Amino acid sequence: MSTARQFKPEEPWQAPEGEPIVRLENVTKRFGAFYAVDDISLNIHAGEFFSLLGPSGCGKTTLLRMLAGFETPTSGRLLIDGQDVTDIPPYERPVNMMFQSYALFPHMNVADNIAFGLKQEGMPKSERQDRVAELMSLVQIEPLAKRKPHQLSGGQRQRVALARSLAKHPKILLLDEPLGALDKKLREQTQFELVNIQERLGITFVVVTHDQEEAMTMSSRIALMHEGRIEQVDPPRRLYEFPSTRYAASFIGSVNLFDGYVTEQNDDQVRVQCDDAGIQLEVRHSQPLVPGMAVTVALRPEKVRVIHQLEADTPNQLRGVIKEIAYLGDVSIYHVELASGKRVQFTQSNVQALAEQPLTWDEEVVLSWSANSCGVLTE
Amino acid sequence: MKPTSARPSTRHLIIAVPWFWLALFFLLPFLFVLKISLSEPTLAQPPYMDLIREIEDGFVTLVINFSNYQLLLEDSLYLSALWGSLKVAAISTLFCLLIGYPMAYAIARSPLHWRLPLLMLIILPFWTSFLIRIYAWIGILKANGLLNNLLMGLGLIDSPLAIMHTPLAVYIGVVYNYLPFVVLPLYATLIRLDLTLLEAAADLGCRPWKQFLLITLPLSMPGVIAGAMLVFIPVMGEFVIPDLLGGPDTLMLGKLMWTEFFSNKDWPLASSLAALLLVVLILPFVLLRHFERRSEEGNP
Amino acid sequence: MKKLLHTFLPACLLAGAATASAADELHIYNWSDYIAEDTIENFEQATGIEVVYDVYDANEVMEAKLLAGRSGYDLIFPTARPFAERHIQAGLYQPLDKAKLEGLDNLDPVIMDSLASIDKNNAHLVPYMWGSSGIGYNVDKVREILGDDMPKDTWRLLFDPEIVAKLADCGVTLMDDPTEVLVAANIYRGADADDFSRDGIKAASEVVAAVRDDIRYFHSSQYINDLANGDICVAHGYSGDVLQARDRAAEADNGVNIAYAVPSEGALVWTDVMAIPADAPNPEAAHAFISYLLKPEVIAPITDYVAYANANRAATELVDEEIRNDPGIYPPEETQAKLQVTPTPSERQIRALNRSWTRVKTGQ
Repeated sequence: MSTARQFKPEEPWQAPEGEPIVRLENVTKRFGAFYAVDDISLNIHAGEFFSLLGPSGCGKTTLLRMLAGFETPTSGRLLIDGQDVTDIPPYERPVNMMFQSYALFPHMNVADNIAFGLKQEGMPKSERQDRVAELMSLVQIEPLAKRKPHQLSGGQRQRVALARSLAKHPKILLLDEPLGALDKKLREQTQFELVNIQERLGITFVVVTHDQEEAMTMSSRIALMHEGRIEQVDPPRRLYEFPSTRYAASFIGSVNLFDGYVTEQNDDQVRVQCDDAGIQLEVRHSQPLVPGMAVTVALRPEKVRVIHQLEADTPNQLRGVIKEIAYLGDVSIYHVELASGKRVQFTQSNVQALAEQPLTWDEEVVLSWSANSCGVLTE
Repeated sequence: MKPTSARPSTRHLIIAVPWFWLALFFLLPFLFVLKISLSEPTLAQPPYMDLIREIEDGFVTLVINFSNYQLLLEDSLYLSALWGSLKVAAISTLFCLLIGYPMAYAIARSPLHWRLPLLMLIILPFWTSFLIRIYAWIGILKANGLLNNLLMGLGLIDSPLAIMHTPLAVYIGVVYNYLPFVVLPLYATLIRLDLTLLEAAADLGCRPWKQFLLITLPLSMPGVIAGAMLVFIPVMGEFVIPDLLGGPDTLMLGKLMWTEFFSNKDWPLASSLAALLLVVLILPFVLLRHFERRSEEGNP
Repeated sequence: MKKLLHTFLPACLLAGAATASAADELHIYNWSDYIAEDTIENFEQATGIEVVYDVYDANEVMEAKLLAGRSGYDLIFPTARPFAERHIQAGLYQPLDKAKLEGLDNLDPVIMDSLASIDKNNAHLVPYMWGSSGIGYNVDKVREILGDDMPKDTWRLLFDPEIVAKLADCGVTLMDDPTEVLVAANIYRGADADDFSRDGIKAASEVVAAVRDDIRYFHSSQYINDLANGDICVAHGYSGDVLQARDRAAEADNGVNIAYAVPSEGALVWTDVMAIPADAPNPEAAHAFISYLLKPEVIAPITDYVAYANANRAATELVDEEIRNDPGIYPPEETQAKLQVTPTPSERQIRALNRSWTRVKTGQ
């Protein structure tokens, strides 16, 4: 089993000449006056494990349903493998979908559910049986062939749904909250299995999820959606480390945000005056910024180092008092109140079972981080 | 009823209520019918003989007479009537389903705010008397009725169509009257149908017509069966509609029972006809339950 | 015997039998449209007795109620043969207290003698109205089809396959009543009217079966309208009903000319009677009502209204002249000679008749 994936060797989205397998051109979907999807353009490449991430109502499911063909865009074009499918009905598209509710046919047994799509395309019976057996072995449900859906557990149903949607060798598999109905433990285990299957079959997966952890674990790239628009499309690490908007920064993980304005920029460094912090913060940033421009400095809690005294010639040091501690087992979260009253969060791994000098309430501390560990948000 | 615990509980009491109801209003009357069916007709009040008779000086004997049932099976008239009723019931049920299914489907798929008004339209005819509705059909179908006058007025036909007093009129009356009994249970089933199942089928390459055949239709079978039973069973014993709209050649059990009961004063034979009808109607139920149970058990 | 209008209606009535009555309450069960509009009101005013008046459309319905027991009725109006006859045999009536009845001697002795054959000493029954059943026909249309030498007063109009086939397109109907039709068929085929033997019923049924396909329908009242509208040409029907059709056609002035004929081979006459059920709650009031109807000045307007002859000789001169002189209602001597009372089959024969009838009608 592989852990969070490394896409270094092949990052197809980096190659501009490659034809994407899914191409959305200015796609808009309106329900009455409500813009569920608002002018989205997006490319997804063959072999990707692509996630649409966002809170409920952000338009991610509508986008997925347009890919499947259940919704028609109000405007814009939709291409799959170079073919314009904007007006092609779902039953003629080379994509399949795994539904959030699984949508297993209750009157058919497991084998018949999986064989359904194959029957529709007129595959001969013997071939069909082989394919069904192959799929059941892929998702490890061989003994369940004759059961009806209501006789299966949630996890088993999920596997049947997956097998059924994979049966026809779709070019793209659409998954709507594939793990949403499973309990936490099963979900984590299944995440890896999904990735495994995707890698083995080489099918492009497009997943809708509201669970950032799930998206981070499985995806090659994540499109973070917000109110019908895409905030940012990037691989998980980039999305986390270099969010481009306040929304992106705060949706994924925790973040400390300091509002301020640019005072100066040289080479790849900017200085930002932050009133909350009481000092000028130094941030590594390569895009050109104009002095006086309003920006936000974003700082992940785990990037913060705790020291007990101010150090000379070191940027980004803040003095404050620990006000709250949350012990989560592997890490602890601390809330530090600055002189301005602003609270800053940081986390520390609990390396030792019993620390000699644990941080405690009302203790005065100095927080410090390097210019490389934080970012500047312009939106 | 099989008590699962020695101590009677509230649950048992609650279960006992419908059983008691059935016993009092179904089983008991049926036992009366059964008793009369084993008796012989006589000119008296009531017009059948007691099964237990005093012969002389306190000697009592039980006289059970199966000849009524024997007559039912021997005389082709009764089996023909049974066949006639089965035919009318089956054909009417089929047409009720053919007409009622699309109606129920359309209502279930119509916008939310339309459903209640549409359902009300289905139920509305029930607010007028059953007899008035049948008489209205007489007014429509008779030789110089609305339909014939309309068609002749439009110049489509030269002489009135003979619809009244034909089997066609019976079918029209029966289908019209029993249609709501098909539409309502079908609506209840179709409204519960998970529409994502149709999307899933479409996604797997299924065209709309096949989606209906492979998904909607099989999943609405409980509604189809409920609706079919609600039509088939009462039509089997239907008397009023064939009597008013049908012709003399409409041979059905209900009418025959009327003749036996009123014209012949032969309560025992009428009762054995009723018992026969009950057996014919219960048999499909028993078989259905049997198969249902088997298909449940057939799966591991 | 009167029409069997829509047989299920009374079946519904069967459900709610009359409840036990107070001392001055009279429960009457009579045919529908078989009394003058003001008779009941006048009786109530004259006696102070309150009348609860229910109606039926078929003897069978009244009989079923009676046989079920505790009908709650004090006075019923059955047809003498076979209904009242077998009710007397079954002991369902109580004997009349003749001391309480005035004017019995006004009743037609011919009718009383005839009734005495089924009701010894006229102990239970008082005749009400009487009439015959025969053939109603559309004079002009039948002449057009069969020519001037057409048979007018013969059952051949209904049972001769050759003639019926010619008339079929114009419309020939039979009553939906096994006794009436099969007895008529017996008379037509020259057998005894009351030949209810197995072979007799079979032969009579064959007579009907031979014309069945040319019979437009079997119904005991539908023909009234259809005759009047000119929709049918020949109908087997009750005298009063055919005359009603004739009058309706005349009123509508639609050029339809209807006549009633008593077949020369013989025809049936029926008498409806009054009787008090054995379990009547208030026989006293029932006697009062019978007495009231025995008054010539009471029964004559009823005849005017229902267009059937009553059995009260003293009332005849009080009857409207037009009705009194109508040969269909008060037939002349030579016609009366052709009339015979409806024969009474046994219980077993009735069942055989009815079953055979259902078979013939449905073409089984």
